[in-house]
Amino acid sequence: MKIGVPRETIAGESRTAITPDSALQLQRLGYECLIESGSGSASGFSDDTYRAVCVKVVDEATLYENSDVIAKVRPPALREIDRLRPGQTLISFFYPAQNAELLEAARVKGANVIAMDMVPRISRAQKMDALSSMANIAGYRAVIEAGNNFGRFFTGQVTAAGKVPPAKVLVIGAGVAGLAAIGTATSLGAITYAFDVRPEVAEQIESMGAQFVYLDFAEAQDGAASGGYAAPSSPEFREKQLEKFRELAPEIDIVITTALIPGRDAPKLWLADMVAMMKPGSVIIDLAAERGGNCDLTVADQRIVSDNGVIVVGYTDYPSRMAAQASTLYATNIRHMMTDLTPAKDGNVFHNMEDDVIRSATVTYQGEITYPPPPPKTKAIAAQKRQEKVKEPTPEEKRSRETAAFKAQTLSQGLLLLCATALLLVVGAYAPSSFMNHFIVFVLACFIGFQVIWNVSHSLHTPLMAVTNAISGIVILGALLQVGSGNWLVVVLSALSVLIATVNIVGGFLVTRRMLAMFQKS
Amino acid sequence: MTIGIVSAAYIAAAVLFILSLGGLSGQESAKRAVWYGILGMGLAVVATVFGPGVGHWLIILLMIAGGAVLGHYVASRVQMTEMPQLVAALHSFVGLAAVFIGVNAHIEAADVAVLDEAAKAALSGFAAILAHKTPLELAILKVEVFLGVFIGAVTFTGSVIAFGKLAGKVDGKAQKLPGGHMLNAGAAILSLILLILYGNGAGAWALVLMTLAAFFIGYHLIMGIGGADMPVVISMLNSYSGWAAAAIGFTLGNDLLIVTGALVGSSGAILSYIMCRAMNRSFVSVILGGFGTVTGPAMEISGEQIAIDADGVAAALNDADSIIIVPGYGMAVAQAQQAVSELARKLRAAGKTARFAIHPVAGRLPGHMNVLLAEAKVPYDIVLEMDEINDDFSKTDVVIVIGSNDIVNPAAQEDPNSPIAGMPVLEVWKAKQVFVSKRGQGTGYSGIENPLFYKENTRMCYGDAKVSTNSVLQLIRA
Repeated sequence: MKIGVPRETIAGESRTAITPDSALQLQRLGYECLIESGSGSASGFSDDTYRAVCVKVVDEATLYENSDVIAKVRPPALREIDRLRPGQTLISFFYPAQNAELLEAARVKGANVIAMDMVPRISRAQKMDALSSMANIAGYRAVIEAGNNFGRFFTGQVTAAGKVPPAKVLVIGAGVAGLAAIGTATSLGAITYAFDVRPEVAEQIESMGAQFVYLDFAEAQDGAASGGYAAPSSPEFREKQLEKFRELAPEIDIVITTALIPGRDAPKLWLADMVAMMKPGSVIIDLAAERGGNCDLTVADQRIVSDNGVIVVGYTDYPSRMAAQASTLYATNIRHMMTDLTPAKDGNVFHNMEDDVIRSATVTYQGEITYPPPPPKTKAIAAQKRQEKVKEPTPEEKRSRETAAFKAQTLSQGLLLLCATALLLVVGAYAPSSFMNHFIVFVLACFIGFQVIWNVSHSLHTPLMAVTNAISGIVILGALLQVGSGNWLVVVLSALSVLIATVNIVGGFLVTRRMLAMFQKS
Repeated sequence: MTIGIVSAAYIAAAVLFILSLGGLSGQESAKRAVWYGILGMGLAVVATVFGPGVGHWLIILLMIAGGAVLGHYVASRVQMTEMPQLVAALHSFVGLAAVFIGVNAHIEAADVAVLDEAAKAALSGFAAILAHKTPLELAILKVEVFLGVFIGAVTFTGSVIAFGKLAGKVDGKAQKLPGGHMLNAGAAILSLILLILYGNGAGAWALVLMTLAAFFIGYHLIMGIGGADMPVVISMLNSYSGWAAAAIGFTLGNDLLIVTGALVGSSGAILSYIMCRAMNRSFVSVILGGFGTVTGPAMEISGEQIAIDADGVAAALNDADSIIIVPGYGMAVAQAQQAVSELARKLRAAGKTARFAIHPVAGRLPGHMNVLLAEAKVPYDIVLEMDEINDDFSKTDVVIVIGSNDIVNPAAQEDPNSPIAGMPVLEVWKAKQVFVSKRGQGTGYSGIENPLFYKENTRMCYGDAKVSTNSVLQLIRA
C-alpha cells in the first residue's frame, strides 16, 4: 500500500509528517511512500533528499488519488477532507472534541481517521505519543523564546564589570512541556521554581533541578485520576494558588505557563494584577495561548508588551518554530503508529479495533464516528498510593518531643533504680554481711560487663563468645580450691572439673587467637 | 603465698579480663585483648595453685597438662565452619564443671557439719571457710549451691543438645515431647520445691533429683528450638555458663569467680538481646520456640522463579560495577567461603566494587559469617553489617545471595501478616539484579515463602553453592 504526505496547508506550519529517515523505515514495513512536492522544504528536507530514498514526489491531486494512507501534522481543512475517499486512512492531529464539524465530514466521506492526539497515555503507546514529543519541543523552545526576549543572562555571574544576578524562572504546570522547560532553564543556569496542582509530581520537578512551590493546602487532590493529566481544582484551592503566585510575582523574571486541562479552556492563573507587579523587562511565555492562555494578557500568536514593560508571548507554534526537530520526532511517532497498524509487516494496514491504542486513537471508522473511545483496558497509571507527607517537625516540636522523651527516660530509670534499691534493701536486711560484700562485687561486675560488651564490634561476636568461653573456664579456681579435700569423691570430681575447665581455657584462647589472626585489612 | 598476694593477683586478673573484653571493640586491638585474657587467666590459676589451702598438686599438674593437650588438640583441629559446635561443646564443659563443684561443696559442707569444734579449727582451705560459717550463712550457701548446680546442669545438657544439632548429630528441627512447655514448667516447679526441701535440711537426694530435673530442662528446652534460632541459643548458653560460674563464686566466696561469671553472663545476655532484636522477636518467643502468631493469610505471591545458569551470572557480573554478596548459613554448609572469597577478589581485581553484607543473625553463631570470611582471607573492611550497607542496595548493580533466605525476605517489610513482619532484613531486592544461589526450590528454615525469589529482577541459580560459585568464577574476566 501507499502512504502519502501532502504539504501542510496552514500558513506558518513548517513541520512535515515524513522525513527521509522515516520513509526508509516505512518502506521496510512494505509501504511505498509519496510526498507532495515541497512538503519537507520548510523543515529542511528538499524533494531531492526524499527522491534519494526512493520516495515519489508528486502533486497534491495525484497524491490523494494514489495513497491508501494519508499522514499529516495539522488537523485537515474541510477542503482536504473533501479529497479523501471511502476506506482511505488519515493519520494526523485531529482534536475531535473541538472539531465536530470535521469529524462529521470525515464520517460522511467514509474515511478512517486516526487522531494522533487521541493516543492513550499508556506505556506501550509512548513511542507514538506525538503530544508528548511536541510538548517536549514546546517546553524547550519556550525557554529559548523567553531568553530571546529577556534582556539579561539566565545564569548569575560575577565579572570584572560587575555582578549579574541569576534569572528567576517560574514554570507553572509540570507536564511534559513544563518539565522540558524546567530542564532547559536550569541548564541555562536560572534559578527555577515550578508549580503543579498534582503534588505527586514534586519529585519529578525536583529531579529536574527546580524547586517545587508548595501550597499550604490541606486536601491535596489526586491529579492522576485522568491518566496523568491535571483535573480542575476547587475554588478554595485556586485562591490559595493565586495568593502564592501574587507573593512570587515581584521577584520572578520569567514565567512559563503550561497549565492545560484536557477538553477545557486553559485556566487563568497569571492575572493582570500579577503582571502589573512584575519588573519591567520580565517575560511571560504562555504555552496555553492556543486554548485562551493562562495569562490574562495573552493574545494568541502575538508578542505584546504590557503597560509596565512586561513582555507577554502567546505564540502557539513552538514545535513549528523548530521544524527540523519536530518533524523528525513526529515522523517517528507516525512510523511507530504504522508499525502497530501493520502487524504482519507486509505493507497492508490492519485496522485492529480490538487493540487498545488503535481503538482509542480512531475517531471515525467505516462510516461511523467512534469518538469518544471506551476507556482503555489497561489503566493509564496505577492508582496513586496516598503518600502521607511526613511533616518536618519545627524546632519547638523537636525540642518538646526531646524533653518528653528525656522525661520518660528519667522516669523509667528512676523507677527502675527505686525498685532495685528496694530489692537490695530487702536482701540486705536479711543476708549476712559476707554475702552482701560478694553481692556488691557481683552487681558492679554486671554493670561493667554491660558497659564493655556494647562496644564490641559486630563482626567480632564469634571471637567474643570464644573468649568469654575461655574465661568462664575460671571455674577451675573453684575446682582447685576443692581438690585438696580429704574426701575422695570430692577429689575425683574436682580433678575432673580441673581437666575440663582447662580444656575450656586452652581451647577457648587458642581458637580465639586463631580467629583473630585471620581478620585482615585489605 | 599469703591470702593478700592471692587477692592482689585476683584483682589484677579481673582487670585484665575486663580489658580483654573491652579490647574486642576493634579487629586490631582484639589481637592484644586475647593476651590480656591469657595473662589474667594465668595469674589467677598460678595464684590459686600456690595460694593457701590447695593440695594434691600432682593431680592438679596431671589434670592441667591433660586438659591443655586436649584443648590444644581441639582448638587447632577445628574447622572454622565448625565453630558453632565447638563453642557449644565448650559451654557444656563449664556447665558440667559447675555441677561437679557445686556437688563437691555440698559434700564438703556435709562433712564439715559433723565435725566437732576442735577438728573444725584444724581444717584448712575451703573446708575451713565452711567451718566458720554461721547457720544463716550456711542456709545461703545451700541456696547458692543449689542455684549453681541448677544453672550448670541446664547449661550442660542444653549445650550438649545444641552441639548435637549444630554438628548434625541431632535433628535440627524443633522437637518437643508431648506436653511441651508444661513439662519444662513442671520440672522447674519441682526444682523449686526441692530447693525449699533442701534448704530445710533434706539430704543429698534433693540435690541429685534437682540435677536430673535441670538436665531434663536443658535437654528439652534446646530440643524445642530450631536451627535458625541457634545464634540466640548459643549466646543464651554462653550467658548461663557465666551465671553458673558466678553462682559457684558465691558458694566458694571467691570474688574473681563472681566478677568473671558476671562479665561472661552479661556478655551472653547482651548478645542474645542483639540477636533477638535482629530477628524482631522477643527473647521469650525464641526460647519457647516457634514463631510469633500469624494474624492473617500471607500475601499472595505472583510470578515464578526464573532459573539462570553460571554463564548468565558471570555475564551480569562482568557488566556490573558494584556488587554486594550476601552470605548465609548455606555458604557455611557448602564450605563455599573460599570460592566466594576468590570471586570477590577477582571482581575487585577487575576494578569493581565488591562488598559483603552481613545480617546479624546470618549463620548459626553471632558473627559466624565474619569468621568464615576472615578465614577465607576476605579483608574485614569490605565486610559490612546491615545498618552500614542497607542504603547502598539501590545503587548496586548485582547482589549475590548465597545460602541465605529469611534475612533477605521482603515479606518482612511488605506483608504485615508474615510471621517475620517487622524483622530488619537486607533490602537486596532494591538492587538492579539479584542472583540467589540455593540448593532447591524449598522454603528456608522458617518455612516462609520468600517473595524475593519471584521478583522480576531475581534469578535463581540452583545447586551446591560451592560448585556454582566455582563455575561462575571461571567465567569472570580478570
